[in-house]
Amino acid sequence: MPVPRAIAEPVAALINEFSKLPTIGPKTAARLVFYLLNRPRHEAQALAEAILAVKDKVHLCTTCYSLTEHDPCDLCSDERRDASMICVVAEAKDIYAIERTGAYKGRYHVLGGLISPMDGIGPAQLRVKELVERVGADAPAEIILATNPNAEGEATALYVGRLLQPLGMAVTRLAYGLPIGGDIDYADEVTLARALEGRRVL
Amino acid sequence: MRLPHIELTNFRNYRELELEPAAGLNVFLGANAQGKSNLLEAIAMLGTGKSFRTSRESEVIREGASRAVVTGEAHSRMGIVRLGCMVESGPRSAHKRYLVNGKDVRYARFLGRAAVVTFVPADLQMIGGAPSLRRAFLNAALSQEQPPYYHELVRYQRALTQKNAMLRSETADRELLEVYEQTLIEAGTALWLARDEAVQALALHAEQAHRRWSAGTEHLELRYHPNVPAQAPTHDAVVEAFTTHLRAHRDAERVRRTALVGPHRDDLRFLLGGTSLAAYGSQGQQRTAVLALKVAEYHVMRKRTGEAPILLLDDVLSELDAARAAAFLEGIGDVDQGFVTATELDSRFPAARKFEIDAGRLRVQA
Repeated sequence: MPVPRAIAEPVAALINEFSKLPTIGPKTAARLVFYLLNRPRHEAQALAEAILAVKDKVHLCTTCYSLTEHDPCDLCSDERRDASMICVVAEAKDIYAIERTGAYKGRYHVLGGLISPMDGIGPAQLRVKELVERVGADAPAEIILATNPNAEGEATALYVGRLLQPLGMAVTRLAYGLPIGGDIDYADEVTLARALEGRRVL
Repeated sequence: MRLPHIELTNFRNYRELELEPAAGLNVFLGANAQGKSNLLEAIAMLGTGKSFRTSRESEVIREGASRAVVTGEAHSRMGIVRLGCMVESGPRSAHKRYLVNGKDVRYARFLGRAAVVTFVPADLQMIGGAPSLRRAFLNAALSQEQPPYYHELVRYQRALTQKNAMLRSETADRELLEVYEQTLIEAGTALWLARDEAVQALALHAEQAHRRWSAGTEHLELRYHPNVPAQAPTHDAVVEAFTTHLRAHRDAERVRRTALVGPHRDDLRFLLGGTSLAAYGSQGQQRTAVLALKVAEYHVMRKRTGEAPILLLDDVLSELDAARAAAFLEGIGDVDQGFVTATELDSRFPAARKFEIDAGRLRVQA
């Protein structure tokens, strides 16, 4: 005789699927499922279709390797953007962070991660070769390396910088410094020291 | 530096414990296995954020509990700060959290808020043991004193791990290897210079203490023995030596598949009357030299931070003969606050407050 189930099979299956997602544990997964059970069918359908659409319609841009529906992506095909600058980022999500500032009007290049030999990620696993080829073909005036200020981000920036410098354009790195609205006496010694190194004339 | 109030929750054999230590020397008395060292371990964690007894820190969580907590109020000339260190059990390894005035902070922001000098019986093996013990001593002392040192140490170790991963995998991308070596040279030079300076300061104090004890008959020397020998203790000279050394050992590193050059292979050497204590010193001579080193650590830290660190002695005095124990305490001088464990009350301790410990229970002795 089958063991009686406390939860209907489809409900258990969906809880299981949700709990595979990052930052979602079994309890949150169950809450999401019970929430969806109480919503009208069309909302559930919209969610299911949106998930499938992401998988079916979104591809990598063959120029910058960002996520896009059409190739080349909107950012790469926008003629108003400055093609003489390329901002190199680790992940596509970093583009959204920089775009939110509204302070940058150039193009992008997504590496697809950061170099870390201990995790088996070398330059060959990332889009480094593609960047060098693109830079060689387009000859931009400046490359901005916008990787995270941690050990892997630093190493990746140094490495990419070494490959690009012989090509002759300006290679720059994001500045380090104090957070806006912060207090100097709350900053840690290392950040403060880097901010001093990177000071500029008023 | 003082900790007038300490609380433990689910730490080793303590479910809940509140402790109000006095200024001066606090003595924890009790038979073996009652929890004396556990208390000292907890107090040390408020300073260093690490256990001095185990690298598997989930061991400090009391059986059946999910997290161990130590909190304390540190009074220093900088004011009063509330410190907390938590060890939470996780699926694979323990997760640690550090609190300053109730806020979660990174380890680097926690370390050194309460300066401590710990002395445990294992330290007595330092001279005869592996070089890694002596490097660990230098790293622990310097990280507490100088936040930038800890930052450079982490940077160095990270780049070293990456370089070793590359050497092992044989995917020798020369350009990438040089990126890691550039970081190793930068961070390694900072470590080199800080260690050199620290060993000189330690050598001075250790020699003084030792001279008093031996009535001037034996001369103790401490020498920094860097893996990369530089012409002079200057930034440029060390960078140059490091670069040359790396180039000279490039083939050897590829063959051995591991990084052979840099401060991760430094050593600290002890000489008595010009001969190596590690090779020729007796057990007793080695012990006396470690005592001198610990006295020096205490005084150097006091000088650098501008106030006396908290002294933690775990069963050390009972390991020593009466003359050495007395010499050590005399070398330290008056402590601002200290903690000592002992199985029986010893007239040598100028105890300010005595606590009797019996199976995780604490009683202040009149």
